[in-house]
Amino acid sequence: MNLSLKYRVLMIVVFAIFIGVFLYYYGTKARQEQAVAEELREYSYIAREYALDAIYKSTEFPVEVELYPSAHTEAILERWKAISDRYPELDYPEAAIEARDWIEVHKSFEDTDLLNGVIRKMYKDATVTSEGLGVSYITLLDYIFYQKYEASNIEDVVIDLGIEPSREEE
Amino acid sequence: MKKKKVIMVTMTIILLIVICYFAFQFVNQNQDIEDAIEQEFRSLRIYMEEIYAIEFLDDDRAMVFYSWAHPDFSNFGVMELEKTWRGWQFVEAISNRMERKNAWLKGVYAEITDHAILRGPTWASVDKIVIITDDGREYTPELGKAERQIWYLILEDEPFEEATFILYDSDGEVLREEVLQFDLNS
Repeated sequence: MNLSLKYRVLMIVVFAIFIGVFLYYYGTKARQEQAVAEELREYSYIAREYALDAIYKSTEFPVEVELYPSAHTEAILERWKAISDRYPELDYPEAAIEARDWIEVHKSFEDTDLLNGVIRKMYKDATVTSEGLGVSYITLLDYIFYQKYEASNIEDVVIDLGIEPSREEE
Repeated sequence: MKKKKVIMVTMTIILLIVICYFAFQFVNQNQDIEDAIEQEFRSLRIYMEEIYAIEFLDDDRAMVFYSWAHPDFSNFGVMELEKTWRGWQFVEAISNRMERKNAWLKGVYAEITDHAILRGPTWASVDKIVIITDDGREYTPELGKAERQIWYLILEDEPFEEATFILYDSDGEVLREEVLQFDLNS
């Protein structure tokens, strides 16, 4: 092949541009896909935890998911508010709940030390012993989110504190 | 000589395109919808799911009825898929939270793309359901069975806000009558 130098340089430049564009495209796409996966994971987690109804309009970039509270969401919020009224250190983010920004709402549960403090105080105030029951912030989360009484005596605590009506009244 | 070369190259390219087209067709025809559904669940980050029914609206549209989430599968979903040149693709999905606890039957109204759907959980012992609306219309919803059971109805006429549901067992005996209300704005 007898190509002029100019022609060869041009070919190399065109080739380099091609590769550049290709790499850039795939790099962006890979990052985008990762962000999409992360976002969808978060939506699925929040929808499950807060018993939300969800409409998935797009699962590709840009992700489009709408979340709406269900009747069970209201029950979760009621339990949460009742505890927060008595123990204000457990934040009840009214504004974020009003705005239905559930991802922001969930940040209130990030600090597990604080949650551990709340549950300890609850047991202390109710003069119910938690000995040997492995009570921790998970007990509190189980109660707020699932109204789960098992594996602890949290039911006695919330009844004693007047957060839940006593069993006879039901 | 040069002309021959150009023709050769053009022919090769055309041949490749034709082969690609048929390969795509072949892969598409043989794509198992259940694999596609599985993949969509993964991309929605939904684990622990149960599929009750796959309803084909026509050759290239399908609705999948499922429920998801540990521990009691209380999030009831319906997902619409469309067959395109890339195979089955996600169109839209809706998920509603309904708890089965102590209820014979639950139900919600939802709109997905241009379809109105009523659906909800019911006991596994229910074998047939008849819906009677206040204005006298009668429907027999489909039942979708997996480990648990749901009922669903793809509405083709006007939606209704309230209806009586008559639940029958496998002997045709009436198990129960329930009145359900639907919020048409959700």
